[in-house]
Amino acid sequence: MSALAHLHRPATIEEAVRLLAAGDGERVRLLAGGATLVAMMNAELVDPAELVSLAAIAELRGIRALADGGLRIGAMTRHRETAAEARLAGAAAVLREAAARIANPVVRNMGTIGGSIAFADPAADYPPALVAADAAVEIAGRRGRRQVPAREFFVDWFATALAPGEMVTAVLLAPPAPGRGSYDKLCRVSGDFAIASVALSVAWRDGACERVGLAVGGCGPRPLHLDEADALLRSGRLGEAAARRAGELLAAAADPLEDVRASAAYRRRVIPRMVERAVAQARAQLEANR
Amino acid sequence: MTTPDAAPVVGQSVPRLEVREKLTGRAQYVADLYRPRMLHGAILGSPHAHARIKSYDVSAARAAPGVHCVLTGEDFGDHRMGAFIKDEHAIAKGKVRYVGEPVAVVAAETEAQARAAARLVEVEYEELPAILTPAAALAPGAAVIHEELASYFKVFDAVCGGNVCSRTELAEGDVERGFRESDLFVEGRYRTQPQAHVSLEPCGALAEVDAAGRVTLWSANQSVFRVQANVCESLGLPMSRLRCLTPRVGAGFGNKMEAHVQPIVVKLALATGRPVRLVLTREEDFEIVRARHPFEVRVRTGVKRDGTFVAREVEVLLDGGAYADDSPGVLGYSLLMARGPYRIPHTRCRGTLVYTNKLRFGAFRGFGNPQVTFATETQIDEIAAQLGIDPVEIRRRNALGADDRWFGGQALASNGLPECIDVAERESGWNARAAARAAPGRRRGLGFACTAHIGGLLGTGAIVRMLEDGTVVLNTGAVDIGQGSDTVLTQIVAEALKLPLDQVSVASPDTDGSPYNWGTTASRVTYTTGRAVLAAAREVERQVKAHAAEMLECAEADLELLPGGAVGLKGVPGKTLPFVAISARAHWRKGGPIVGTNTWVFDRPTVDPKRAVATGLPFPQIGVYSFGAVAAEVEVDEVTGQVAVLRAWTVADVGRAINRASVEGQLEGAFAQGLGFALFEALVFDGPRLANPTLMDYKVPTSLEVPYELHAHIVEHPEPDGPFGAKGVGEIGINAVAAAIANAVAAATGARLRELPLTGERVLGALAAAAANTG
Amino acid sequence: MSTRRPLALRVNRAEHELFAAPGDTLLTALRDALGFTGAKRGCNQGACGACTVLVDDEPVRACLTLAHECAGREIVTIEGAAGAAQALQAAFEEAGAVQCGFCTPGMILTAAAMLERTPRPSADEVRAGLSGNLCRCSGYRKIVDAVLRAAETGAP
Repeated sequence: MSALAHLHRPATIEEAVRLLAAGDGERVRLLAGGATLVAMMNAELVDPAELVSLAAIAELRGIRALADGGLRIGAMTRHRETAAEARLAGAAAVLREAAARIANPVVRNMGTIGGSIAFADPAADYPPALVAADAAVEIAGRRGRRQVPAREFFVDWFATALAPGEMVTAVLLAPPAPGRGSYDKLCRVSGDFAIASVALSVAWRDGACERVGLAVGGCGPRPLHLDEADALLRSGRLGEAAARRAGELLAAAADPLEDVRASAAYRRRVIPRMVERAVAQARAQLEANR
Repeated sequence: MTTPDAAPVVGQSVPRLEVREKLTGRAQYVADLYRPRMLHGAILGSPHAHARIKSYDVSAARAAPGVHCVLTGEDFGDHRMGAFIKDEHAIAKGKVRYVGEPVAVVAAETEAQARAAARLVEVEYEELPAILTPAAALAPGAAVIHEELASYFKVFDAVCGGNVCSRTELAEGDVERGFRESDLFVEGRYRTQPQAHVSLEPCGALAEVDAAGRVTLWSANQSVFRVQANVCESLGLPMSRLRCLTPRVGAGFGNKMEAHVQPIVVKLALATGRPVRLVLTREEDFEIVRARHPFEVRVRTGVKRDGTFVAREVEVLLDGGAYADDSPGVLGYSLLMARGPYRIPHTRCRGTLVYTNKLRFGAFRGFGNPQVTFATETQIDEIAAQLGIDPVEIRRRNALGADDRWFGGQALASNGLPECIDVAERESGWNARAAARAAPGRRRGLGFACTAHIGGLLGTGAIVRMLEDGTVVLNTGAVDIGQGSDTVLTQIVAEALKLPLDQVSVASPDTDGSPYNWGTTASRVTYTTGRAVLAAAREVERQVKAHAAEMLECAEADLELLPGGAVGLKGVPGKTLPFVAISARAHWRKGGPIVGTNTWVFDRPTVDPKRAVATGLPFPQIGVYSFGAVAAEVEVDEVTGQVAVLRAWTVADVGRAINRASVEGQLEGAFAQGLGFALFEALVFDGPRLANPTLMDYKVPTSLEVPYELHAHIVEHPEPDGPFGAKGVGEIGINAVAAAIANAVAAATGARLRELPLTGERVLGALAAAAANTG
Repeated sequence: MSTRRPLALRVNRAEHELFAAPGDTLLTALRDALGFTGAKRGCNQGACGACTVLVDDEPVRACLTLAHECAGREIVTIEGAAGAAQALQAAFEEAGAVQCGFCTPGMILTAAAMLERTPRPSADEVRAGLSGNLCRCSGYRKIVDAVLRAAETGAP
């Protein structure tokens, strides 16, 4: 029987943080879109005493441009909105493509970016995309707001840099740059969690790579990312040899599990192959742009 | 001349009779039924795969809020049920034999209270060695799962002992001689995985006891009569004390044919005196009902250089899980199907079914045929490749013809196999297939496979009663699980009596009022029940004409049915009598109400002892044969090994399609289920425990995995004794799908896979191996 | 311990008053408290789509939505089908797209929301749009055809 006694609906982030701080992590939980939390409650995997619904907090909603031209994606932004966001173009399209591959249209209409990344399922679609895009996560707590790079936000299996009593308020992106962002997911059926996924974000100018971000999902406790691989691809101008080497490095660094979706060996095996394909596609676009 | 009302209805795609209620949300499935003062049931499942139950402590559960009763195995008598071997109690008693097996059940005011209380039941176990594979079950000194197997009642001459539940053999010709006479033989070992039914509606039941202690039971099922038999056997109730009904059913595929929670729910209702409903969660539906058997198959086929099949030897090993359920039938049927729809004069098929400490495996669309067909139909492609013969051509050369008999000796009164092959070949563009071009990094291939399936088995009945106003009501007891049998059977009555469809109604299955129907299973309702319905309608026609002959003072032979519910004197336009006048006379003045009835049981022998030898085969009579062919075009991703089906053609000889749209629905749906079986569906066990009992972890095909270009083609070679020539269609469409897809993957990549499902991982591995061989 | 609290929900263009615990899902409230059993519980995990209803014209999983989160919003179940959903009902009947019927309400409401957004979808757009609604009886072909047919008849 559910222990749930209270469903709070605060109107501000500060009030939500205050309600959250009253609990010890298990007892009080934040309710975003519900796609994961309510499913877990239904399965009797979690049994919070209080829920803090974020639905009434206007500040958490929507995508807006920042003064520097960057984008701020509110934590309660639905996957559907992110998938349709035209400003997520060029190198930032990786995020839009990842959003479009989450689950299915109805769940994309419910699930939120904040809820998804706070849960930090390494087989989910946003984590590698945010890491590839080098996004930042805005966090609110009792002591105010702070920002954490996505590359530091995902810490371990289902674990993030959120301290007790903190919540995700937004995802922040640098000003969109010309380039290419792509997200390729290997999964059993459409909408399934990833066996492996490759998120690639390349910013380029005048035919030269300015920035490359490459991350692999589903193959370890958190998105797999190596500065060395990014640097190789940038300096190697997305060339075949660089792609092969980057893929090998990532595969060697991967720490995949065997689960009901696939074996660890298969995951290791497809990482370089998927990386090479993603880089080859980016290379083709880069060359076509020249 | 016909009026619009009397346009032929057989062969038309008339909409489902109940379609409006399903479209508007008014259709009631068992979870939609609420009774006054209804309680909710919940189950505590076993945490162990194999253990002796030492004791129970139910005190905390009984004291929990809202709880009305808590029952354990001690509250159930020593009564056992089982379709072939009576080896199963209503809930675990003395021992548990698989993880999740119900050990205690609770009835409480709310579902949440019942579930919470069930967790409070304490059970002390003494763990026993868990037998998790057939090899472990057969190992010397293995723990015995059913110590009392020898004493169980069996409905057939079972060859069993130890952990062997059943051994079956079927042979025709002299297989050793056949191999000696062959120029070439190909041998392979094949493995298939457990597949879950995933009927969208989980299993559930609602029972209510009347003042006299008689029980009414509504449940999701494929046979009210099997529900009645299983509940009464497992609870020791006289069958006269239980009435079984069926609301709308959200599909079955075999899962709802034998018992699930019905005995438990009846027991809870009897114990509390209150209505009790229990609908399984999706997880429970995965964990405690049943699934498709994993098979290990060895096939060896001998052929002549010209491609003529000469000999085949098949051995199968089935994991039956913890209880026999329908497994002996699946074993026997898979052997009967293992020769395929071909002439192979020397064939011997042997199989062993073992108990293990896993969820019971049982009936699932295809009933063992998809597993053996995967093996045999992929092997035929290997043979064709070795001989340099086109895969379709080798099948055509060996296909059973008009005068051939099925393995075992049954005659084939209708056989559309050659036409199925022709249609699938033509429609798929088979002979132009080399032209198919894939994008860089991808490979395409087209694959082909054939199959046959029976429809029939056991007893069935029909009552067609004319109401006072001349309309009729049809009552068979056949459960429409969504495949459309209510509509099909109504079409048969309407056609026979020349009535518009809206003047025929269908009674809901009810063990109190319906004639016996073994069940909606074995592709049998259209053929067996349809025959009974047609015969009952003809009896109504006979009675109607007898009345009319007296009323018009003429000979019965001079009368004919007229469209719209009337009888007329042939050739005399004015001389007609509407059914209402005839029915009124019968009801109020002479002869008595007009009721046509028919019952029959399929009684043609499966095996002709002059042609074949069988031991341990549990169905002495079986059914009539449908035929099919499937072609599938796949694209393989060279990077990941993943397979996508781009287009497919599924063809079946169904004798006569009574309702074309429903036949297409069966063929398309069976293809989709076969696609899941071929490519990714698999129940995964982590030791004794099911690792993926959710729809997040167990994936079935979505609208994006099934190709839009899924083409169902109907071939009609009428079965002489089928209603309007019809025979079965429910299962035939699934059998050859995995083989056709595997053959397409081999055509695309050169990689031959002998284990299902054809995951990206396996295909990528095979691609690499194939490249190494050719490189 | 959860206690049930009063809740007013607007369902199918009418106000309904009921009691619901804080953790009760919209699916439970619709089915058990209000008798709108057209929304089905197929998995209770949001994976099957049989519970899909419209909230403020957008499809949601009723099993993943808390009832108390829906106060003040416009809920439509299959029992209140209107507009595109009615055209879809007719098209599903004509196309033979209904078999066991358990997925049908969720399928129709999902398709109705899709047609509001994309009035003339391609077959592949329909397949993508319905990919979160499982059907185990059909091969989806007749369902996709029914949606395409409804789109044609519903076009201006």
